[in-house]
Amino acid sequence: MRSKTGQLDGPLVTVLMSTYNRPAYVGQALESILRQTYGNLQAVVVRDGGQSVREEIHRYADPRVVFIDRDQNRGLPYSFNEALSHARGEYICYLGDDDLLYPYHVETLVTAAQNHPEFGVIYSDLYKAHCRIESDGRRTVLAKNVEISRDFDRFALLQFNHVLHVSLMHRRDLLDRAGPCNENLICLIDWDLTRRLSFYTDFLHVPRITGEYYAAIPDFQQRCERISSRKQKSLNRYILNHLTIQSTRPSKPWPKMKDLSLILLADRFSSQTEQALREIWSHTFYPYQIYLPLTRSELDQLQRKTIVPNILGVPVAEGCGKPERMDAALRQCQGEYVAVIPDTWRIGFDEVAWIEKSLYPLLQGDSVSTAYELVGSKPENWGIVLDSAVLRSARRHYPNLPLRESLISAGVNIQLPQQSQWPFQLENLITNAEYLERNGAWLDAEILYKGAEQQFGNGLWMKIRRANALYHAGQYDAAGQWVASINDQRPSVSSLMLEARIRRKQNRLSQALELFQKARDILEGSEFYHAGYANGIV
Amino acid sequence: MESFERRKTDDHLAEDAWSDSLRGTIIPDKGWTQHYDLVKEMGDCHASMGDYPRARQCYDRAAELAPDEAGPYVGLGVIHLQSGELDEAETAFRVACRLDPKSSKALCGLAMAAQRRGQDQRAFDGYLKTLEIDSDEMTALLGLFQVSCRMGSFGQIIRYLELYLEMHPGDLSVMFSLAALYRRDGRLQRSRELLERIMLLDPGHAEAQNLLEEIDHSRVESIDRRTTCLNPMG
Repeated sequence: MRSKTGQLDGPLVTVLMSTYNRPAYVGQALESILRQTYGNLQAVVVRDGGQSVREEIHRYADPRVVFIDRDQNRGLPYSFNEALSHARGEYICYLGDDDLLYPYHVETLVTAAQNHPEFGVIYSDLYKAHCRIESDGRRTVLAKNVEISRDFDRFALLQFNHVLHVSLMHRRDLLDRAGPCNENLICLIDWDLTRRLSFYTDFLHVPRITGEYYAAIPDFQQRCERISSRKQKSLNRYILNHLTIQSTRPSKPWPKMKDLSLILLADRFSSQTEQALREIWSHTFYPYQIYLPLTRSELDQLQRKTIVPNILGVPVAEGCGKPERMDAALRQCQGEYVAVIPDTWRIGFDEVAWIEKSLYPLLQGDSVSTAYELVGSKPENWGIVLDSAVLRSARRHYPNLPLRESLISAGVNIQLPQQSQWPFQLENLITNAEYLERNGAWLDAEILYKGAEQQFGNGLWMKIRRANALYHAGQYDAAGQWVASINDQRPSVSSLMLEARIRRKQNRLSQALELFQKARDILEGSEFYHAGYANGIV
Repeated sequence: MESFERRKTDDHLAEDAWSDSLRGTIIPDKGWTQHYDLVKEMGDCHASMGDYPRARQCYDRAAELAPDEAGPYVGLGVIHLQSGELDEAETAFRVACRLDPKSSKALCGLAMAAQRRGQDQRAFDGYLKTLEIDSDEMTALLGLFQVSCRMGSFGQIIRYLELYLEMHPGDLSVMFSLAALYRRDGRLQRSRELLERIMLLDPGHAEAQNLLEEIDHSRVESIDRRTTCLNPMG
């Protein structure tokens, strides 16, 4: 619905921005909020200490701006929470103080939200603008890449963030359940937020480029310093930060996430048990709760010794055997899925989906009455993941049998997950395709991208990869057709350049130049001046 | 020989031999060189279309964006070369060589400038150096061919043409030139085989047909001569 002025009528949207020591860019960032074609906006800007930006903010004298001018530096999560406390919008957007929204960003997201009210989070695509900072502070843009344009994948989001902070808009009320920004985090704040939001709602991907975020390219010296300082000073903090996010369990109920209860079986509490707990913590990205059946004295010992989160001690009697311990833990389990693991189980250092490989087929709904063994299981060291109702039923009917025998007697189909059932098949296909490309097997790579699209969607992303592979294989007509269809739908710098190169190979130089020029215009800022804003940045 | 000569036009230089091999990253939306690549390639397009002022603007911008890249200076060198400004061309190619001593295009540009100045030996050495770095460099191959013809030394060029044909077995003009060189070198059987292959691939190839006829004719003459020698009385 549009008003008489042609503006989209809709809910109030609050854009949050925190700034710290970036007076050179913050004005442009704020301007990009205020220039939105969508009018029903509120901007909350927080100065998180550092240099004054009062002049830059007050220059706009816009009643839609709330400016919190704080001297103390408290960090990004704190600032966002402070900004949130002033937010009145039904929806929340975010912007970095050195990033830019294109004028149609909010309108694009609100339109999608109105058309698909079942989605609580809407996100678009962004350019990552690699830039060189000149001696006078100017940014010279060297590339604008759409590094991520991925359809929502809840499982993948648990392991890495594919929804950029600046690109998303979410309902404000979702934070009542998901909780505010975690102020203990030092980085990956955006991933922490999107991960938690995914417990409560589906995300809608709108494959339109609606802004850009900047990444300065350090010179060689800086690069070396950065790597060494990261290694020496903050690697441990970074890992801890990562683990904190991975093991966060927001408040229940989780309408969009099924819980995993992990029963860790130990004969007694030992260093082996501790090691197993640490390995589970560092390797499990799917939300889990560990149930550890031990005697009371062992549980006291555990409480004193471990920092591993998400452990629920289940007291059992002295001399209790493994089946009894397991049954005691099972009575406490709340997850839809349950895993039973001995504390002798060791997880490989570089294993990325140790338990998820067996859980994933269950999440895909392959078969409820199938239990999946852990990859690497042996008779003497055996772990399994299955539907908790199935396990309960088996234990109810065959309480005196060991676990495996009770499952077999209950007719549960025990399987080892096939490689094709493991998660991250899309990533595997892309890795394989890139390997083929590096070896010049472009047409084989194109076939993989085609298959990936058929199986996993992500149409635009896969299509541009296909067109690029066809181009390198010398199949200019086919490549040209693909990339032209991409450019009709969503032109980007790289897709325009690819089409230009194809036209050049086809000796259509004028057409190539037109396409190159379009790409150049984007690189040099045309999207920011879209919708009649031709006067440049103040 | 003529077909080979005809290919060495300014257009060919600007468009094919001088265009960078579309560097950048092989995967879209990766890497930092996009802006540079784009402006440089626009420069190449303008140069191909003969719009040198615009090409120059693009190359200047590309050099600003990536001051360590040789590509824009090669592009500028080509423009100067095509405008007959040999001193300026050499300067640009030298800058490119300094930035990237392994730039086959910059070395080839220097060799071309030398050839234009009539410095055949310098050009010959330059082309050879280029081909050592990139045996696929067509312009150097063509230049070497021309200079060799003028200097009358074919040993090196035959080797490079054979190498090139191994990589591009269907290139008719290189096949024809090699056939012509074999013939000049007295290797008539090899020349004939190559010409027959050309005729198989392109039955309407008039130059190959003519050369084939010339070889056959000279064979007949040679047989006649031999017969006459053996039987002077006829």
